Amino acid sequence: MAKTPIGLEPVVGSLTSTKKREYRVTNRLQEGKRPLYAVIFNFIDSRYFNVFATVGGNRVTVYQCLEGGVIAVLQSYVDEDIRRMSLSTLNEKIHKSFVGHGDSINEIRTQPLKPSLIVSASKDESVRLWNVHTGICILIFAGAGGHRNEVLSVDFHPSDIYRIASCGMDNTVKIWSMKEFWTYVEKSFTWTDLPSKFPTKYVQFPVFLASVHSNYVDCNRWLGDFILSKSVDNEIVLWEPKMKEQSPGEGTVDILQKYPVPECDIWFIKFSCDFHYNSAAIGNREGKIFVWELQSSPPVLIARLSHAQSKSPIRQTAMSFDGSTILCCCEDGTIWRWDAVPAN
Amino acid sequence: MVSKGSDSSSKPRKLHGEHSGGGVGNLTHKLNHLKRQVQAERAASIKEKVEKNRKKLESHGTEILSATSSRNVPCVEENGFGKMLSSRIQNPLCKFAGLAQGPGDRDYANGHEVVSSTSVKLPYVEKLPPYTTWIFLDKNQRMADDQSVVGRRRIYYDQHGSEALICSESEEDIAEPEEEKHEFSEGEDRILWNVCEDYGLGEEILTPVSQFFGVTSSEIQDRHGLLRDKYSEQNVKDSEDSVSEKGISLDKSLSAALDSFDNLFCRRCLLFDCRLHGCSQSLINPSEKQPYWSEYEDDRKPCSDQCCLRLRAVKDVAEGSGVKELHGVKTATLEEKDLVVSSDAKEQKTIADADLMQDDIGEERPVGLEGINDSEGAGETQTSVMSSIPMDNHESSGKRKASQEPLDDPLHCSDGSLDSASKKQKTLLALDVVTKSSEAIPSHVSVESSKSGDDNVGTHTENEAQITAKNNKNEYGERGLVTFTCPASASKTKDKIKNGAKDVTKVPDLKSSSEWKPIEKELYLKGVEIFGRNSCLIARNLLSGLKTCIEVSSYMCDGGASTLNRSIMTSSFLEENGKSESDYMLLVTEQEMSTKPRLLRRRGRTRKLKYSWKSAGHPSIWKRIADGKNQSCKQYTPCGCQSMCGKQCPCLHNGTCCEKYCGCSKSCKNRFRGCHCAKSQCRSRQCPCFAAGRECDPDVCRNCWVSCGGDSLGEPPKRGEGQCGNMRLLLRQQQRILLAKSDVAGWGAFLKNSVNKNDYLGEYTGELISHTEADKRGKIYDRANSSFLFDLNDQYVLDAYRQGDKLKFANHSSNPNCYAKVMLVAGDHRVGIFAKERIEASEELFYDYRYGPDQAPAWARKPEGSKRDETSSSQGRAKKHQSH
Repeated sequence: MAKTPIGLEPVVGSLTSTKKREYRVTNRLQEGKRPLYAVIFNFIDSRYFNVFATVGGNRVTVYQCLEGGVIAVLQSYVDEDIRRMSLSTLNEKIHKSFVGHGDSINEIRTQPLKPSLIVSASKDESVRLWNVHTGICILIFAGAGGHRNEVLSVDFHPSDIYRIASCGMDNTVKIWSMKEFWTYVEKSFTWTDLPSKFPTKYVQFPVFLASVHSNYVDCNRWLGDFILSKSVDNEIVLWEPKMKEQSPGEGTVDILQKYPVPECDIWFIKFSCDFHYNSAAIGNREGKIFVWELQSSPPVLIARLSHAQSKSPIRQTAMSFDGSTILCCCEDGTIWRWDAVPAN
Repeated sequence: MVSKGSDSSSKPRKLHGEHSGGGVGNLTHKLNHLKRQVQAERAASIKEKVEKNRKKLESHGTEILSATSSRNVPCVEENGFGKMLSSRIQNPLCKFAGLAQGPGDRDYANGHEVVSSTSVKLPYVEKLPPYTTWIFLDKNQRMADDQSVVGRRRIYYDQHGSEALICSESEEDIAEPEEEKHEFSEGEDRILWNVCEDYGLGEEILTPVSQFFGVTSSEIQDRHGLLRDKYSEQNVKDSEDSVSEKGISLDKSLSAALDSFDNLFCRRCLLFDCRLHGCSQSLINPSEKQPYWSEYEDDRKPCSDQCCLRLRAVKDVAEGSGVKELHGVKTATLEEKDLVVSSDAKEQKTIADADLMQDDIGEERPVGLEGINDSEGAGETQTSVMSSIPMDNHESSGKRKASQEPLDDPLHCSDGSLDSASKKQKTLLALDVVTKSSEAIPSHVSVESSKSGDDNVGTHTENEAQITAKNNKNEYGERGLVTFTCPASASKTKDKIKNGAKDVTKVPDLKSSSEWKPIEKELYLKGVEIFGRNSCLIARNLLSGLKTCIEVSSYMCDGGASTLNRSIMTSSFLEENGKSESDYMLLVTEQEMSTKPRLLRRRGRTRKLKYSWKSAGHPSIWKRIADGKNQSCKQYTPCGCQSMCGKQCPCLHNGTCCEKYCGCSKSCKNRFRGCHCAKSQCRSRQCPCFAAGRECDPDVCRNCWVSCGGDSLGEPPKRGEGQCGNMRLLLRQQQRILLAKSDVAGWGAFLKNSVNKNDYLGEYTGELISHTEADKRGKIYDRANSSFLFDLNDQYVLDAYRQGDKLKFANHSSNPNCYAKVMLVAGDHRVGIFAKERIEASEELFYDYRYGPDQAPAWARKPEGSKRDETSSSQGRAKKHQSH
């Protein structure tokens, strides 16, 4: 990598914890012996903001966080054939099966404004847009300009409903637009025929391609119009895609901020944000958690969580609506619950 | 920042003169100071950006939040899941108490074991065989540059653990010693500019500065030069910002427009942005000119309301050749008269006169055309009219290679200076001619004009715009004259035509609305090149929306008049030009005359001559054909040889035949001349095309043709109609292929309808990649245990991994029912899949991937007993790519 030119340096957060908020372990569950790959809170339905789900092996389990560190098991589902996936939301129960992906699915996200729409990132090198209610695969984001390897993560833009960002094992982050195909999305809501007869369209070219990382990119999220993404370089990167209006597909990346995360150099560790994207939590290879304040410049490390017994790599964290509860799921099949200590 | 630069500028200028030791010390100080300043600004701008983004996000957040709370009501009714969730919340399966709250317990967390006995089993869904998302391709595509895996770092992970296995393919790929050129950021530019303003760019300044930036001193100098240009430009720009805002496409020259056409249009596939042959192909101009697209005058229908044919009121009574010749002379004279009229009109400015002129133009034009078409070698003057325009184009099209003769330049200059002066002369000259010739046929003209009068009133009243156009006609008529004179006599290049045109447009009193822009003139010239002097076709195809047919035809006549003049005036200059002119004339007439009879003659000959495939091309070709095994097909690239291909012809060098896309003449010895098969339908090795592993080409083969309007497209060929059976890839006469789970492994391709032996099933399409690329990809695909690589020829491998068609899913078998064959179709190698035997409907398709002895996966190895003789299977069978 070339030296960053003067005047384009990113602002790097300091690793000295400000201890703005303190967290402590309030519960620990052991869910079998198999690694848990994903944990996520429900952000779709305000009644169930305290409900979360975990995925590991072939099992999906739904829990509820109660007062005083109590966790209630609500339901669990077993499938023969889910290998690794992360649920976008609890509310969208798998009440339909979606057939189409040629290989396992790495991540699913729900469009916050239209929860019927989900995108899935798959090992088959494609991203697909589905309508959950009609069971239709509306769009396939793949082809000539598509990913060249497994797609690991995908996210909807918070306000621009046409826009998604995906990243994967081809080291790139791609921004796609479905603006030109929006009629098909609308059509999918009123489709009454067999889902397989829907004229699924291919979106072959992304509107933006960013080579921010030089290794697998395993998690990306929109932060407003900026993108947070991480690779195996011990940091989360916040960057701005600068598109050229005239020539789609081209553009430059302006790396704005960096959030260092020590010992986070293995693949498939995902971070999570609270509902308002004020803070993000990420685990590392040694079972520690770093909580960053996302939207301050320079970034502020809110807290660094560690526990003597937490040694296993943390694959994913989940932040509750207001960030007061952090859950993490680990390689050894444990779920940890951390609660913020109320300030006196 | 600006103030910083300016206030310190006075002091260091002096320093620069003295360059004391303190100067350099100051320099580093200054550099660091500026750097810190830029960095602080950067941090501030990021902060601002993030803050702005935060505010935006906040508003969206509240929007989404309200959406989540409004979801409560419908959800419950809708799917009952909400209800279930609520009931579960009331009544959870089990609860796990939190850990004790005391701070002392922080070290030890007693975990709970979650044993969910009551898990719901999700309905079983049959798993699809894995595949990678792929895109359907109906024809092969060349790999886009950014799709290459060569030299790119690929990282693999172990199946079991998550340990990283970085598979750097081989060391030499990773090594990229080429240092990237340093991209100067805005901040760096500013620092550099400020420092240089203050200290200059002396040797002793350069070193610390380049060290500071970490680049070479030459880069600093280059950048500084750039900056200086930029800043000085900025100053200039501020003063004259509005002037440069002009430039619609019409002002650009045709050659600029044609340039993009030449670069983007694929002449082999006849489409823009061809993915197979790519853009910026080297342009091959055929050495043989196509004859004009000639239409008989009488068959022509008026092309529009503004057609020149409409204006012709009187059909000439007599059609005898003698009269035609007379017409020929009349044409010329009328043109002269035209000029006179127009110059008159200039002075008088009356509509009536202009209208009269219009009549004349309308009348004489078609007649003139007749004369040109039919009476060859009538009068000397006429010949020059006729030949001059094609000649211009001939020259300009040939200009790419032709070097300019030095003689041209002085001519051009003198001509340019003559422009204004000669105008008068010309009109005088023309006047002379008119008086002479009008004596010869005065009555004729008058009759015509009076008769056509009625007809013209209609068009005249139709639109007023036309009237103004007519008013102006005299002007551009004259301009046409000038421009034609200038380039035709002296300059041979289009650029000079443009120059000439510019000269004219600069003449102030010639400004008018319907003037001919340079591009229109160039388009017109192109039109003459393509269509001959057919104003309808030129106006419709090249100048639609710009000029009407009438305008074109009158322009044509004026142009003709001018060239007539030219031949009189500049005949002394023209001796050698005249020679080439007449040569060209001969060529054209020869071509035109002999098109039809030759065809007939040929037919007669085929009956007599026994046509063997040995006559299909060069001896070296039929040697290869006779060999039977053409080891590896050679990629064909059209050669640009003019006339005959000699030893240096790239085609000959590569061992390919010359094809119809080559520049060489049709009689080139290296040309593949197609077949003459009559009844065999070209389905056996009797057919030279078939024997050479080529499909027949209707452009080349004598008896292989495609009937128009038939339903042959997309359907299997009908047998027994004498139609060529060797154009099936070209015509896409493929079978319906179905994709389903294979009986053997993964996915498989199946046949919808039954077919007979040797029937064509479909094409194996994919991305065209180089062999080195294929070797790299092969390694990657081997890890995934699925490869869709297919050797095509010596340059390319087909990769159907991400782009292809359903036939890519046909599995390997050592006892297959299909075979793959590489065919040369219109210069491109393509892979066809053919039936090896009769195949019933809905059978799965297999073909032999032709793995090397040790490369086949275990399941694909042949059982010892069933070993067939490899060499007996016919030549040209394609094989899957094997990485080395």
